Amino acid sequence: MTEAEHEAVIELMPAYALGSLDEDEAGLVARHLASCAVCQVELKEYEAVADALPLAVAVMDPPPALKDRLMAQIDTSPLAERPAADEGVQQLSWWTTTANTLREWFGVSAWRPVLAGGLVLIIVALTLGNILQYQESRPSIPAWRRAILTGSELAPEARGIIYISPDGKNGTIVVDGLPDLEPDQQYQLWLILDGQRDSGAVFSVNADGYRGLEIEAPIPLRDYSAFGVTIEPAGGSPGPTGQRVLGFNL
Amino acid sequence: MLASVDKLTAVQYRPIHDLEDSAQAAAEMKQLTKQSVARKRSVAEDWELMTLIAQQDEAALGELYDRYSRLVFSLAYGVVGERDSAEEIALDVFTRVWEKAYTYRSDRAKVRTWLTRMTRNRAIDHLRRESVRPSKDSIGWAEIHPEPASANIGPEAAAAQAMEKERVRAAVASLSEGQREVLELAYFGGYSHSQIASKLDLPLGTVKGRVRMAMQNLRHELQDE
Repeated sequence: MTEAEHEAVIELMPAYALGSLDEDEAGLVARHLASCAVCQVELKEYEAVADALPLAVAVMDPPPALKDRLMAQIDTSPLAERPAADEGVQQLSWWTTTANTLREWFGVSAWRPVLAGGLVLIIVALTLGNILQYQESRPSIPAWRRAILTGSELAPEARGIIYISPDGKNGTIVVDGLPDLEPDQQYQLWLILDGQRDSGAVFSVNADGYRGLEIEAPIPLRDYSAFGVTIEPAGGSPGPTGQRVLGFNL
Repeated sequence: MLASVDKLTAVQYRPIHDLEDSAQAAAEMKQLTKQSVARKRSVAEDWELMTLIAQQDEAALGELYDRYSRLVFSLAYGVVGERDSAEEIALDVFTRVWEKAYTYRSDRAKVRTWLTRMTRNRAIDHLRRESVRPSKDSIGWAEIHPEPASANIGPEAAAAQAMEKERVRAAVASLSEGQREVLELAYFGGYSHSQIASKLDLPLGTVKGRVRMAMQNLRHELQDE
């Protein structure tokens, strides 16, 4: 890092925080930021300025019906990916209810010797019944999901697949047909959520342009809405700086 | 409210002569303290609402909506310049809050910042997807004096919010017309420097300089005194 580069990046920082730099300059700033603590602080300052701008917009009231639409929408589209804790609760409740009922029916001390054997049989029968009922109604096993990445104009032959584990947390990327890179370059996977990009992997490919590797995501992979692969300096960048070769958008 | 004030005044200033008065005063103070705590608890912090929303608390989502729907809707409108689209974007943002509240991390950004970044990104995505730009040339900047708070956020928070709005609006008003123009196109339009230069038919260097000066001036104006 030279002093001249540092000065140039400082000049560009206000526009970088606004997101208005053209691609080449944004790349220069992103690369510099990775190793310059002064500029990282500078960026935070300008991001705070950009984040304050919505407060200066003329205020308009949303339509009164919008809140009702929101509440109706969340009622009709509950989260499908939440852990199914209710099932456990339901079974516990069923078992507790049954046990309580049996205790109420057979709890009188004079009946105990007579009904003890019968009670064991009933419990066995109910347990078997419950197992059969569970097997019939058990939820389907959550499936793996995949996102197909398509090649950009720079790499029209390239393709990729991201496999996301059933719990949505982990995943693997497999790519094929990616072009050869210079020795000082690598591919980098970006995980995109609301415009923010997290690095998911930095990798090279073999002579066929093929590679498969595990994705390292700071939050569950299912939460991202888009993925992209760009060409970056070897070792990766803090944010995308190079050209995109693969992409996927929900 | 008036009765509470009277009672508090009486408890604070009436001389306590005997045991009965003392016990009565203690009971009243205890009651008032309870009410004060209950009042404070009735105004949840934003991050507390997010925690509740992550647990699928619909009332918390309603509360967050009441606090921020005007800001989200106004920002979306500022970008797309059209009510129907702004409404859809606002609906999308709050639906996403419901679905993704558990991904919110308070150490990364304030809830308001999280919401406005999401709104801006969604609105600019909408513009690019639709390939349609607002017909109007300028977004509507607010008057410097802020409007009343939109929801029950407590008097202290409402006062702090009003002061912050006033500072930001005064800072924007202090910019030159040229600086405000490029700032609008960059922040609300999602345009790059070269796109702004082309749109305004200005040299690229002029645009860069105006954007930089606008942000530097705002930073200077908004710095804590």
